[in-house]
Amino acid sequence: MAAHEVICLIGASGSGKSTLLRCVNLLERIDAGTIWMDGQAIAGTVSRVDENLVRRHIGIVFQSFNLFPHMTVERNVTLGPMKVLGLSRSEAVSQAAELLDRFGLGEKRADYPDRLSGGQQQRVAIVRALAMRPRLMLLDEVTSALDPELVADVLDVIRELAEGGMTMLIATHEMGFARDIASRVCFLADGQIVEQAPPGELFSSPSDERTRRFLRRIVDAGRL
Amino acid sequence: MEAQGLPDLSARRSRLLASGDRRGVALSTASTVVVLAALLAVFLLAPGSRQVRHTFFNPADMWRALVGDPKAGYYSVGEALWLNIRMFVAAEILILAAGLLVAVIRQSTGPVMLPLRVVATVYVDVARGVPLILIIFAIGFGAPALQLKVISSQSAAVYGVAALVLSYSAYVSEVYRAGINAVHRSQVAAARSLGLSQWSSMRYVILPQAIRNIIPPLLNDFISLQKDTALVGLLGSIEANKAAELFSDTTFNYSSYVVAAILFLLLTIPLARFTDHLIRRDQARRLAGAVALWAERRRVPALACPRAPPRHCGSRGFTSRSVLMRCSAGWTWRWPRTRSSA
Amino acid sequence: MRQIIVTGVAMLTAGMALAGCASSTSSSGASPGAGTSSSASAASCTYAGVQGELYAKGVLTVATDQPAYPPWFENNKPSNGQGYESAVAYAVAAQLGFKPSQVKWAYEPFDSSYAPGPKKFDFDINEISYSAQRAQVVTFSDSYYDVQQALVALKSSPIVTRHTPADLKTYVFGDQVGTTSLQFINSQIQPTQTPKVFETLNDVKQALQTRQIAALVTDTPTAQFISSSEIPGSVMVAQFPSTGEHYGLLLAKGNPLVTCVNKALASLRSNGTLARLTTKYLQIYTSVPTIKP
Repeated sequence: MAAHEVICLIGASGSGKSTLLRCVNLLERIDAGTIWMDGQAIAGTVSRVDENLVRRHIGIVFQSFNLFPHMTVERNVTLGPMKVLGLSRSEAVSQAAELLDRFGLGEKRADYPDRLSGGQQQRVAIVRALAMRPRLMLLDEVTSALDPELVADVLDVIRELAEGGMTMLIATHEMGFARDIASRVCFLADGQIVEQAPPGELFSSPSDERTRRFLRRIVDAGRL
Repeated sequence: MEAQGLPDLSARRSRLLASGDRRGVALSTASTVVVLAALLAVFLLAPGSRQVRHTFFNPADMWRALVGDPKAGYYSVGEALWLNIRMFVAAEILILAAGLLVAVIRQSTGPVMLPLRVVATVYVDVARGVPLILIIFAIGFGAPALQLKVISSQSAAVYGVAALVLSYSAYVSEVYRAGINAVHRSQVAAARSLGLSQWSSMRYVILPQAIRNIIPPLLNDFISLQKDTALVGLLGSIEANKAAELFSDTTFNYSSYVVAAILFLLLTIPLARFTDHLIRRDQARRLAGAVALWAERRRVPALACPRAPPRHCGSRGFTSRSVLMRCSAGWTWRWPRTRSSA
Repeated sequence: MRQIIVTGVAMLTAGMALAGCASSTSSSGASPGAGTSSSASAASCTYAGVQGELYAKGVLTVATDQPAYPPWFENNKPSNGQGYESAVAYAVAAQLGFKPSQVKWAYEPFDSSYAPGPKKFDFDINEISYSAQRAQVVTFSDSYYDVQQALVALKSSPIVTRHTPADLKTYVFGDQVGTTSLQFINSQIQPTQTPKVFETLNDVKQALQTRQIAALVTDTPTAQFISSSEIPGSVMVAQFPSTGEHYGLLLAKGNPLVTCVNKALASLRSNGTLARLTTKYLQIYTSVPTIKP
């Protein structure tokens, strides 16, 4: 994918969207093929890769938020920058404050994650990933665990990031959202990319039969 | 699908159940008193009761044992307890550190740590397999026998602490491992995804959560350790139980053992209640967070709750599950809306 | 409903415990209670006469601890009649009219020999010193041996040459739990460092050999045996003057058998048996120096 590109992965459960994302940030080992980042192979043919170094540049947000429950929101966000990037405490805290304010979480700074709603937790998770200043953001079905009324807030955040030029790889069920912000949409089935095309093309006239079936089911469920 | 007509029902139910509750409490109190009274009666009415009371519960001897009289051949049980306290405090600090080290080593991955992992596993197996009393003898009598400069000239209490640390660290390391494994894998994934190394993620993310999980079993082991310091008496040091034995052998009266038991209870019971308090506070914090979160979702205020828990739930044909929520005053059942996705 | 069941079970259990305890204590063996020691059967201390006072009819049950140390017993077999205490026990039995085959030995650890309640033996012979406080709980016979305490140390230890009462205060002593040696150490020697107390004599010997203690204190015969046969390189340094301590046979509190036992001991003393056994087994050398107080 190119810089500033936003690719959405769609597909049924078990089609391999999450696995693909986890392979990109080296949480899963790949059996075949190669992953390149900035012209360097980070997985596949190359044997010794510093995973921690790679992961600094890739931010990932999970479906189940995965905030650290024993830390306040602020500490969640400053942990990575302080321990991995080596920022000083004041730098990390001011960066965290700026990001949290930007996404409307300013007054939740000193709260523990268990006091936040799902949407707020997910936004904190996004901020936590952003605090590392990644070059690539991976979003793994980040709205699937949220109640419908909270999804919009999170989608707004992602929209803002996309408009700001962040390179993103998003696995999602939100078809409308995908149509809006993606530069490319990939449909996955059984661990393969069946079809990929700009959203206008894919959603209106998909070329593969499996894609068509999938989209028809989505439309029938009223989700598109 | 919001529950209809709920307030009336629950109010009536809570009135009924409050009275039923009172009856239940009265009945269980009465039965407890009866059983205790029966046991006391057995004790007091047995033919040998007077002799047993004189031998085991004689206040004059209990006082003498507590205070001690070296010229008469016995030491103060209270003063000897101080040795136990010093031993188990020192041992516990070392055990917590050593157990953690062994657990982290065993949890590590990667070929570099393999020899250490093997050593750690062998150590845990051996230390848990050999009875503590044998380890105490081995160290307590073996170390001086080696006639080495520093190692062979320590006091019995030092050898005792060394043996306790060796034995207990193995058990405690397993408790740590259970706590570490209880931390969800997703936390590891999140921490590593930030770029934290294995060690950093263990230190900042996993261990803090793991330790919160295992504080009750750790305190349990600590309480057990306090009693096991008695075994160090076998090496000749005068700890509380040994002092009790000395009194008993000199005067042929066992009341000193009762004194030692009471002293140990005074140490243990506050610690046990403190453990319970920690567990409750941790749960309350988690559940309080859940209530606040749930209330926000449903956009209803968290209601004040009736005193008694209703016995039945979901019996009016509602298909949704009921969720038990804890409020400040008591308990209540709530019927949440089901999600639109099944 | 559940409450009722629980209460019922609890009361049932309590009732059964009550019944069981009451019946067992009433049916268990002779706890002689507050009986006087001068009973009617004192007149006949013969085999037939003492039958009513025995733990097991027809045999004299004598108890001692395990292991049974020389010179009090030999080869850890009390029944071979060798060793001072074994010989004394058989001699007392003979005075009471028991044949050697009618003497049975029982094992009784020291710690439980003075436990309240009926005993599983007629008397216990185990180097137990008499004290007035102990006599409140058990009955002691008259003395069968007058005790002096002695010191054992390694030959290389400075205590061998320096053992004036002032010097003695500076050493670390060791002794066995349950003996009167600790009392002796603290009241007579008064060391500045707390003595060490071990469970068994073996542990004390071990501690001496590994130099954890400078000297061990025990009665002279045991000390003599340890230094001559048990611990290589050890020596009995000296013995202390007598403080009036003596060993007695231990019987259940109020056991009327003690009258006959005392008569037997008196006979053994007057006919020289005790002295003969002392010479044979205890080999007290008069050349052992006594520490001047």
